[in-house]
Amino acid sequence: MFAFARRNQVLLSSCLCVFLSLSILAAAANGRLRADPVGPLLLALMRPLQIGAHAVVLWVRDIADLSARLGGLASENRQLRERIQDLEAERNRLLEVEATNRRLAELLAFRSQLPSASLTASVIGSSASTWFRSLTLDKGSAHGVVRRMAVVSPAGVVGHVVAVTSRSAKVLLLTDPHSGVDVIVQRSRARGIVGGSLDNGPVMKYVKRSEDVEAGDRLITSGVDGIFPKGLLVGTVAKVRKKSFGLFQFVAVDLAVDPSNIEEVLLVPPQDAPHKEENQP
Amino acid sequence: MKLSLLFLAVGFLLVLFQTTVFHLLPLGPIVPDLTLILCVYWGLNYPTVGAALGAFLLGYSVDVFSSPLLGLNAFAMSLVFLAVYLSSRCIWIHDSVLSAVVVFAAACVKALALLMASSLFLSSDGLWRGLLQYILLDALAATVLAPILFFFFRRGQHYVEAAAMPS
Repeated sequence: MFAFARRNQVLLSSCLCVFLSLSILAAAANGRLRADPVGPLLLALMRPLQIGAHAVVLWVRDIADLSARLGGLASENRQLRERIQDLEAERNRLLEVEATNRRLAELLAFRSQLPSASLTASVIGSSASTWFRSLTLDKGSAHGVVRRMAVVSPAGVVGHVVAVTSRSAKVLLLTDPHSGVDVIVQRSRARGIVGGSLDNGPVMKYVKRSEDVEAGDRLITSGVDGIFPKGLLVGTVAKVRKKSFGLFQFVAVDLAVDPSNIEEVLLVPPQDAPHKEENQP
Repeated sequence: MKLSLLFLAVGFLLVLFQTTVFHLLPLGPIVPDLTLILCVYWGLNYPTVGAALGAFLLGYSVDVFSSPLLGLNAFAMSLVFLAVYLSSRCIWIHDSVLSAVVVFAAACVKALALLMASSLFLSSDGLWRGLLQYILLDALAATVLAPILFFFFRRGQHYVEAAAMPS
């Protein structure tokens, strides 16, 4: 018995890992996974590294932008180039400060329209997988973040919080195939669910054939999902297609917010139970 | 043991790369799956109990950062390790090109495992559009990077093993 186990220890441990992950998956899916000891620890350990790596990424991006901008000045003499480099660096810094200032002012103005318990947070990481679209924020339960908080920007809806640790939070983006937000067409009040898909971007699902939807229609949150406040812009209808069969029409959506360019967001408490959510990682 | 811990640290570093640096590359939504390459390397060249646990932990860490549900990637990575390990017991693969082919196959196994788990435990109607394209792009990105990473993993493993050997 022991000899068999010893001979096949790798095989047995692999099978054990498969079963363990399946049981974690089943428990998480049924909402029975109350405490996750590894996840918060991992997030806490990775947080400073993520912040550092994110800063390096931004720095490299700035350098790449700067070098691209300076590429056209190759024929200038050295003194002028140095001068231009200095000015560009200074200008870049000032532009960055100005852009940040503008963004934060917009965020502040937008925040005044939302419930008073809203929080601001910065993005410190993105999804680690092709299959899922998520962001990591620098605020967690210690700052008042809870699960199911709506994540918005002045331009529109970004997603919602799906996991929280004491110092960080994971956001499931609207572009994720597993995501969904209840919306209404502002013009005709037609209802549907906007969610992500893997190929041709976000779509509005479950729109009856009889509903009046046209390209260019603005989509706003309905407020009935208990997460997003009513009336936030989600996006505009990009394309409508009705096949000769089927119950629903196909509606492609242009989201109001491009998640890849977002740096700061606002977190709005869930609308149904504002302060009763437990902080579950 | 030392090598397993070192490999695990490398794995976490790869997860960090996937969450930050790779979003700088002009690859659109595709994030090259370096953790999968490491997992395949373990299955082919370092099949130990530590490596099996490592594959599970790497998948779990990707879940912590990305998945809507804990355990999705942990399941897929454990399954990939098991599949690669079982294949390596039947076929001896040490060539870089063949290893890249194994990585491609492993990426497909991972995609199928993710699909299966998503269908079982999540609402996955948004997942089916453009699925084949995504599976292929994801697998190709991993396949292209596999020979380079295998080279570094092999060099690192030889170096640590040589350093651990009594002179």
